[in-house]
Amino acid sequence: MLRKFSFLAAGCLAAFLLTPLLSHAASTPTITISANGTITIAIGSIGGPDGAAIAKIVQSDLALSGFFSFANANGASMVVSGGSSGGSLQGKVTGHSGDNILLHSYEGDARAKAHAFANDIIETLTGVKGMAGSKIAFIATRTGHKELYTADYDGSNVRQMTQDANISVAPSLSPDGRHIAYTSYLKGYADIYTIDLASGARNRIVKFPGTNSGAAYSPDGSRIACTVSRDGNPELYVVDASGGSARRLTHTPGVESSPTWSPDGGEIIYSSDDGGSPQLYRISASGGSGRRIPTGHNYCTKPNWSPDGKKVAFNIREGGSFQVAILDLDGGGVRVVTGGDEARDPVWGPDSRHLLFTQGGSLMLLDMQTSRKASILSGLGSVSEPTWTR
Amino acid sequence: MKTSLQLVTRAALCGVLVLSLDACSLFHKKKQYTGVSDSDMVGGTPLPERQEGLSFMGADVDRSRFSPVHFGFDSVTVEAGETGKLNEVASYLKHSDKQLIIAGFTDERGTAEYNRGLGERRAQAVRSYLLEKGASSEHIQTTSFGAEMPAASGHDEAAWAKNRRAEFGVTK
Repeated sequence: MLRKFSFLAAGCLAAFLLTPLLSHAASTPTITISANGTITIAIGSIGGPDGAAIAKIVQSDLALSGFFSFANANGASMVVSGGSSGGSLQGKVTGHSGDNILLHSYEGDARAKAHAFANDIIETLTGVKGMAGSKIAFIATRTGHKELYTADYDGSNVRQMTQDANISVAPSLSPDGRHIAYTSYLKGYADIYTIDLASGARNRIVKFPGTNSGAAYSPDGSRIACTVSRDGNPELYVVDASGGSARRLTHTPGVESSPTWSPDGGEIIYSSDDGGSPQLYRISASGGSGRRIPTGHNYCTKPNWSPDGKKVAFNIREGGSFQVAILDLDGGGVRVVTGGDEARDPVWGPDSRHLLFTQGGSLMLLDMQTSRKASILSGLGSVSEPTWTR
Repeated sequence: MKTSLQLVTRAALCGVLVLSLDACSLFHKKKQYTGVSDSDMVGGTPLPERQEGLSFMGADVDRSRFSPVHFGFDSVTVEAGETGKLNEVASYLKHSDKQLIIAGFTDERGTAEYNRGLGERRAQAVRSYLLEKGASSEHIQTTSFGAEMPAASGHDEAAWAKNRRAEFGVTK
């Protein structure tokens, strides 16, 4: 009986997810999924002065998503086309019989319009949250100092946010991409600041005696988890997004660092060396005691919880080299996903499929499904500590 | 333009999400502030309030008066061989009302954020030793720069050993 119910539920869910697709079509579009699991799509022409540039960005976004392969219009089940005029993009995806699978208009600069269109294509055709519209932030040393930068997820549209000639580190983008919390030594101590990206307003929000660092926004953006040492030892704290209502979570003689939130905001995974070497622990966001998560590695730092809640990426030290590993929270399995040059500070994309991390001073984008790896930034000096919107 | 059916579907999905989110937040609200209060301690001595405008890198701070104390890899233990330097600092503090800032540092290896915590833990380990020797906690602040500002620029054990350290700044 139970089995029958869950089968029915799955059927309903599938029908539910497919509805937006089918509802567009006079006749059901034939979507050809190729042997390697990708959707074959053609990039047709996009008219208008910035049309060619937009088409190029859309194709790059679809390629990076990992869901698509490309063919000419005859060999593809769908064609991307559109027209751009007066700052507005009319984006379209048509099926074989000329039926519209997606038709929507987008505003903004060419890059913003292209990313938004590409993200709609990905989400409409796969039902999965896309990363094409997402933003990243990171630290880079181009000026000779560690300064804070933002960019689109593909490394384009780079903006330098701080010009302090000081030390800016440990950024965390709010999930909606409107704020950045990060650590600066402007006052000589490590304090946590927030920047409102629209206005540029900066506030020092956590400035207890000692070191305040490692900010991580909660999934709803209302709270920030961080490390605070005012009690005589680095401990995990949760403050509200403006720095108030500080509450201490941990009580150990060790170093707690790098909190990361569960998607529902109820739990936090972090690193602590209370047991000797740094290990991963899990604690309720409202307090209690941390439970150690076995990983089989004896140096585990900088955990990052995937937006779908299923996996945790973290840093390990193996044979003196720092690499990135993934913990499967359901099965408990751990696999190392990088090799060669030291890889650090992994962070999940909004699709829970791609990882960003630094390797050899540059920023790498790794597709966990295809193992395809691409360097997305260069020329900014040494890049570190990436953060990603969700 | 998306069809109305699609919009309805999306709205329905949103409705389900909103309902479940509400249920979650109601549940969490009850628990949210029943955690540990922020004045709770584990036997440590809390740091005093910072003196506004005073910082380790400031021009009014002498950073060369005392020698740095060094640490082993991933260690916060004050080695027996380093205690002579610390005893000197402790006896100075007993007869002075100057402010002391202890800055912790790490070598370049490892995760940047963990290293900031480790550097702070080193500074605090040095502070605990000084408190045990009778120094007043009222005059001591700690800070950590992690792997920033290395004392030696090399990428070998000789440089790393010099960089795993705590330095002292005394107000002039």
